[in-house]
Amino acid sequence: MKKSILAVLVVLLAAGSVFATGQADDGASGNVTLRMSWWGGDSRHTPTLNALEAYTAAHPEVKIEGEYGGWDGYYQKLVTQVAGGTAADIIQIDQPWLSELSSKGEVFVEIDASMVDLSQFDAKFLENYCTYNGKLMGLPTGTNVNTFAVDTKMLADYGIDPDTVWTWDNIVSEGKKINAQNPDCYFSGATPDILRFWFEMYMAQVAGAVVDNDGKVAFTEAQGTEAFEYFQSWFDEGIIAPFSQTSLFFQKFQENPSWITGEMATTWTWVSSMNKDIGNRPNFETRQLPVMDGAANSGVLMRPSQIMVIHSRSKHKAEAADVMKYLFTDTEALEILGLARGIPSAEIGRSVLASKGAISVMAETATNEGIAQAGLPQSVYQMNSEVMQVMQDIIDEFGFGKLTPAEASRKLIANLESTIANL
Amino acid sequence: MKSNTKYNYAGYLYILPWIIGFLLLQLVPLINSLWYSFTDFQLLGSPNFTGLANFKKIFSGDQTFIKSLNVTFIYVLIAVPLKIAFALFIAVILNQKIKGINLFRTLYYIPSILGGSVAVSVLWKYLFMNQGVVNNTLAVVGLPAIDWLGDPRYALGTVSMVTVWQFGSSMLLFLAGLKQIPVSLYEAARIDGAGRARIFWKITIPELSPIVLFNLIMQMINAFQDFTSAYVITQGGPLKSTYLYGLMLYDQGFKFFKMGYASALSWILFVIIMFFTSLTFRSSQSWVHYGDSK
Repeated sequence: MKKSILAVLVVLLAAGSVFATGQADDGASGNVTLRMSWWGGDSRHTPTLNALEAYTAAHPEVKIEGEYGGWDGYYQKLVTQVAGGTAADIIQIDQPWLSELSSKGEVFVEIDASMVDLSQFDAKFLENYCTYNGKLMGLPTGTNVNTFAVDTKMLADYGIDPDTVWTWDNIVSEGKKINAQNPDCYFSGATPDILRFWFEMYMAQVAGAVVDNDGKVAFTEAQGTEAFEYFQSWFDEGIIAPFSQTSLFFQKFQENPSWITGEMATTWTWVSSMNKDIGNRPNFETRQLPVMDGAANSGVLMRPSQIMVIHSRSKHKAEAADVMKYLFTDTEALEILGLARGIPSAEIGRSVLASKGAISVMAETATNEGIAQAGLPQSVYQMNSEVMQVMQDIIDEFGFGKLTPAEASRKLIANLESTIANL
Repeated sequence: MKSNTKYNYAGYLYILPWIIGFLLLQLVPLINSLWYSFTDFQLLGSPNFTGLANFKKIFSGDQTFIKSLNVTFIYVLIAVPLKIAFALFIAVILNQKIKGINLFRTLYYIPSILGGSVAVSVLWKYLFMNQGVVNNTLAVVGLPAIDWLGDPRYALGTVSMVTVWQFGSSMLLFLAGLKQIPVSLYEAARIDGAGRARIFWKITIPELSPIVLFNLIMQMINAFQDFTSAYVITQGGPLKSTYLYGLMLYDQGFKFFKMGYASALSWILFVIIMFFTSLTFRSSQSWVHYGDSK
């Protein structure tokens, strides 16, 4: 009896260790299973799954498993998977991760012209945003730029010309009309994280950057004080709501009931997330962001919506590259995908969608106007998650009134320097 | 003797699945994390031994560490006693012989089943946000709205209430404990003319003290490690007023990918929990009464 129990246990354990090694490599039988991971909403999941299905229909020897979900936790999961060698074959990443992950080792496969027709992409764009140490590591899905989305009707209702060309000054002088007439309403929907983007843009125009490409703080204490004094006027004049009302919607300003119900008129945003941010609110148009006269760098950010990469530990790199080629340059795939990842970066993608009239006027205008005023890419240092956290912490303390503009500037410089020294 | 040895083998065999699970899934990661705490491990790439560098950095002016430790202590001090008191209060009420008492017991236990879940935290956020249910209710009665989660002074208290609200498992233990108290004690006290309050403090509480101790230790250990509610509701804000230790650990490990540093932080937390647990155990000699001790 005991022996039989022992036997059963041994068998179970042995079986367990077989399962633990994962599914057996099915390459021998001519069948290939690829995994592709991305984040997004249903408007991205459904077309992506449909495109993958269309690909497998034409290539019955290939099976593609989609691993998809929301943005929250995607990066954490990805890094853990990369560390454990279990990341998907084809991975959608955010642009800053390209250098962050590549700096830790060879994580992605270098892309060359034999895999995908690279002439479809703007060479400068690839070089600026998709390379690491001069090697092309991924392909940009779309071109994403900052834009300024405004509720034209709400502005007009409060006596503000909806066609205003925005400057830093008239944001205050015009914007204050809203809160002055209705204390529940504000010109801007900015949450603490969005104010950080505004601050970074302002600093870029004043001093070129917050942190430059050499890892040095690019602005002087006086310049920082000037910037914080400017944003102090946003609080004083009711341009933005107090942080005590908005901090709960950190990184989710579009979930703020005040925003949803139309008590806030404008927002800084990315074109790729514009539709999600505007939600069901009517009467939205996009405008260019304010740029100072003679600014060296507009601070208006442009970068790939996302980047598609191939995992260096993929067992089927050639097959993965073929799927990439299909998704980026095949007419059928481009039609199915539509605007799931914004306006495509690849020339053929844009022409396919344009011929079908699939690109909305608003998205096209916002993208073109954004590209027209786009500034320099932010430095790797400025995009570092710890550096961003330092900026955010100071913005929070400043916004909650714990720091004066001068104190905020001094503390920001000190904290940035000590953090960068420890990176 | 020989048969005894055989018997032991069989015993080990039965617990083998657990032993393997413990060794692989708990002991190995534990030892690994201890090793990582002396390295600059960054999740990708291999760890380099850096001696006590992580600990030195933590104790020499990591402002976030001090802030977070502070917040965590206050959180434990608010949430744990309140939760235990509340659980005891409800348990005493539910110990009465009332019609449909089982229904009430089930109802009060439900929050604990949902316990620690993301859904509850999201619900909390919508209850207590600026234009949430609570403030709207206050407005109906004519009271001013409060920034429950937006004001750094109140946010931690509001988040603690999620924990207190999930008092069900402690309550269940108290309820079981109450059933164990011999009725004869109460009868004797009543015959001697003791009032309800006196009976409660002189009989119920001392008889329940072992369960109070158990709840206190378990809840304290949990509270020190709490993460979900603060992460989902406030993400540690506003102004880091709800930046619990677990949140800081998570940020260091999975936002900044400083696994070595995060491992060091978690071992410090382990020592802190160990210290307070043993302190509680020591103090228990003076206030916990076991039935068999005289």
